[in-house]
Amino acid sequence: MSIIQFDKKQEMLRRTVREFVEKEIVPIATEIDEQDTFPEELFQKMGQMGYNGIFVPREYGGAGMGYTERAILLEEISRHSAGLAMAVMTHHLGVAAILDFGTEEQKKKYLPDLCAGKKIGGLAVTEPSGGSDLMGHQSTGEKIGEDWVLNGRKCFITNSHVADVSVVTVRTGEDAKGRPALSGFIIEKGNEGFAPGHKENKFGLRGSIMGDLNINDCHVSGEALLGQEGKAAKIALSTIGGVGRPGMAAISVGILRACLEESVKFAKERVIYGKPLAKVPAIQSIIAKNRIDYEAGMLLTYQAIGIKDTGERSDTQSAIAKHYTTEAAVLAAKRTIDLMGGYGCVNEYPAGRYLRDAMTTIPSGGTTQIMELVIAGASLA
Amino acid sequence: MLPPEVFVVTEQVQGQLTPVSFELLGAAKKLAEEMGGASISCVLLGADIRDLGEDLASHGADKVYLAEDQRLALYQNEYYALFLTKFFKKQQPEVVLWGATAISGELAATVAARLETGLSAHCSDLHLNEEGLLVQVVPAFGGKVLGDILCPSRRPQMATVKTGIFSSLSKGEGAGEIIYEDTSILDGCSPLLKTLKVTKEKDRDTSLKEAAVVVGGGWGVGSGENWTLLERLSSLLGGAVGCTRPALDEGWTNGEHTMIGTSGITIKPKVYIGIGISGAIHHLVGIKDAEMIISINKDAKAPILSFSDYGVVADFKKVLPGLIEKIEELS
Amino acid sequence: MKERRILVCIKPVPDPEHYDKIGIDPASKTLVRSGIPAVINPNDKNAIEAALEIREYWGGIVELVSMAPPDAEEKLREGLAMGADKAYLLSDRSFAGSDTLATARVLAAGIAKIGSFDLVITGSESADGGTTNVSPQLGEMLGLPHVCNVESITPQNEEQWQLNVKIEEGYLKVEGPTPMVVGVNDKINTPRYTTVMGIMEAEDKEVVIWSAADLEIDNDKVGLTGSPTQPGDLHEPKLQRAGKLLEGEPEVVVDKLIRLLRQAGVLNA
Repeated sequence: MSIIQFDKKQEMLRRTVREFVEKEIVPIATEIDEQDTFPEELFQKMGQMGYNGIFVPREYGGAGMGYTERAILLEEISRHSAGLAMAVMTHHLGVAAILDFGTEEQKKKYLPDLCAGKKIGGLAVTEPSGGSDLMGHQSTGEKIGEDWVLNGRKCFITNSHVADVSVVTVRTGEDAKGRPALSGFIIEKGNEGFAPGHKENKFGLRGSIMGDLNINDCHVSGEALLGQEGKAAKIALSTIGGVGRPGMAAISVGILRACLEESVKFAKERVIYGKPLAKVPAIQSIIAKNRIDYEAGMLLTYQAIGIKDTGERSDTQSAIAKHYTTEAAVLAAKRTIDLMGGYGCVNEYPAGRYLRDAMTTIPSGGTTQIMELVIAGASLA
Repeated sequence: MLPPEVFVVTEQVQGQLTPVSFELLGAAKKLAEEMGGASISCVLLGADIRDLGEDLASHGADKVYLAEDQRLALYQNEYYALFLTKFFKKQQPEVVLWGATAISGELAATVAARLETGLSAHCSDLHLNEEGLLVQVVPAFGGKVLGDILCPSRRPQMATVKTGIFSSLSKGEGAGEIIYEDTSILDGCSPLLKTLKVTKEKDRDTSLKEAAVVVGGGWGVGSGENWTLLERLSSLLGGAVGCTRPALDEGWTNGEHTMIGTSGITIKPKVYIGIGISGAIHHLVGIKDAEMIISINKDAKAPILSFSDYGVVADFKKVLPGLIEKIEELS
Repeated sequence: MKERRILVCIKPVPDPEHYDKIGIDPASKTLVRSGIPAVINPNDKNAIEAALEIREYWGGIVELVSMAPPDAEEKLREGLAMGADKAYLLSDRSFAGSDTLATARVLAAGIAKIGSFDLVITGSESADGGTTNVSPQLGEMLGLPHVCNVESITPQNEEQWQLNVKIEEGYLKVEGPTPMVVGVNDKINTPRYTTVMGIMEAEDKEVVIWSAADLEIDNDKVGLTGSPTQPGDLHEPKLQRAGKLLEGEPEVVVDKLIRLLRQAGVLNA
């Protein structure tokens, strides 16, 4: 018996998502990449399909499945559009933060619309000083009576320009040891003093919008506070470590599968020296490596997420999965381009996009070096 | 031993015989010869169909049984099935051929159920085996596989045949005998389902089925603008333009009736020129009887190339304009 | 308004997207179809969609019926995930090899046991066998009016329905009372996607499994032995041709094409 065994429900989910992706996303995947546009209508449709709140309980308008099913969803979307998968994956971060740390009122207020596709979510932690260095937070929140006034700038924020509901972390004081204490706030689009700024022109994961969020004397009520005052480092770490990194791993598994499937297809169809490319030993070596990376990446990813679904902490396994799959996807994409020769460098073929997307998965949710820090830390502890 | 008579159920819609009716007579002729000279009988239902009966009699039918009744003017499944079931119980034929059309296909299935006999659908070939049984060759899995179907013990052996498989017989002397059948059995029936009317679609361009040259376009044609190149070429050659399902779905074509393949029409032109077609089995089965297949595809890996007599690996936009110009020069 | 009870007959078939991979084993002369996943016959999904739309408009329930091997339960669950309320699987070794007539007998026996209903909807055509027989033959077995190739269904009033039937020449307008058997074509609608919520709900829906012993059926009239038609040999159509490539610059290729068109006798100039 294999360690990873999908049940019938999960297999049906994969089949139905695949059908949706093939009909709705495949025809526009190239366009999404070329124009770097976020398809809002499609996002609404995905809400109706139950994708946007797939792991959210039914009582909050979600589909009531778990994180394994979310990974299946992200892998299937990413197989054809890693950029769109990135937008969905980041939306899920905002949703997960509210689900895990919100009050009953906050969950009832925000989750149904976020699940139904009526609203788009986001999570804004990273600042110009860095993403993983939470203690370097420069943005601030000042309590005035029952309300708060927030100031600062967030950068490299996915869904920055499209999110209706953003979970934002700011520095609101110091703890007993003098370290900055962070607090999280739920800020709605249109809140005065809160606006998207510079939009990045990324070379990969295009279609997921990334840019700055400017916070200038942004007044929010006390009801916007997510979780306890001064305890938002946990929100950031738990959401990014437990939902973001496995999400990035699932996206990379999708890219790995794309590399495998496209390289097999090309090798079988392309005829060279009178025989299919697939007969050439060097080509078979590429196919084998693409297969190994896909299988290994898949096992690591679903293993990590399976642990999370049992309620256990999976930070280390998630970091391992993200480290392995994102790096492997870059190599697999490069090999796929090698296999295709000149075709690999032509934008009519998707291999170049796989490479750009794979490269872009590496810094999202923490770089490879940060993953190594987490993994080494856990191993040496 | 087969009794010397092959039966064909012909059909008319609004007083016009459908093309498959004549082709069925062609199929019956082939079987009649295999039987060592059986006669060919056909049956037609409708109102005021004397002329149609004569037309059939001059196209190879030895006997034309007419069920002429105002109640049969339009296809009414219950009336039609009632009459035909009784008719075949009386005639006891060995073989009955039907058109694989919407109307005849449904009617054949109804009558087969009432006679508790077998019915094969969409036959692409018919012949007799050594025991004299009708071998009904049916396409399965979109035409990827052909299967022989036999009906060893029940009678009649019934098959529906798709339009475009067999050739019609040429018009000869009106030698066939016309026999009027009694339709009084309908008196005891009041159909629950009623066909109220027929709405004909604008006269279909049937040239595709008869054209000596067919230019077929697939998804690789790329745009409606490019599609006009196909139309230019076909009109210069006096041919017609057909399409695949993906091209139809893109909306570049003249409509569903020009779709060639499993769920569309079957053609057998002298020359078929396929443009931007990958070569899925669903399309190939519709062109397999073309005398010559030429395909132009920029993808050297496209399967269509190995199903063609001649292939051109090139962007058709670089070839067709030159070809069109050359033909214009020559004519 | 009277709530409707609609039965939908569905059939699992090998996925038509993969028909290019089907072949015949040269040694055993049997069909090679390994690795091809089963799907609900695509036209049957139109039937499910049509039933769900009627339910949404009129209220009522939609139940699925299938004659298939036991593993078809999974395909019935897919239909339940699309939105149907309950499913019946008619499954027995003795049903294997049934032709269209024998299949219609089994379905009719299952439907007779289910009880009263307003409408039976089927697809008109199966993708694997390509036949259009089962829908009308089911109507005959049930002793009900039947019509196939239906492209739209419009209820006129409680008991009278109007149907638009696609024929080669155009359309027939047909009218009749319920209950009846309707075979829909693939233009009648676009089957909905299955939602994640649908998959979750399908888990708790009932799939009733009936064997031959549960049905009032004459065992001599089902399965291969009860089928009037019998399968014979299988062949692969000869589709491969020489595939001779015409090479050279466009002008050279054009000249070669002109020669071929002349040779075929379609270009006299």
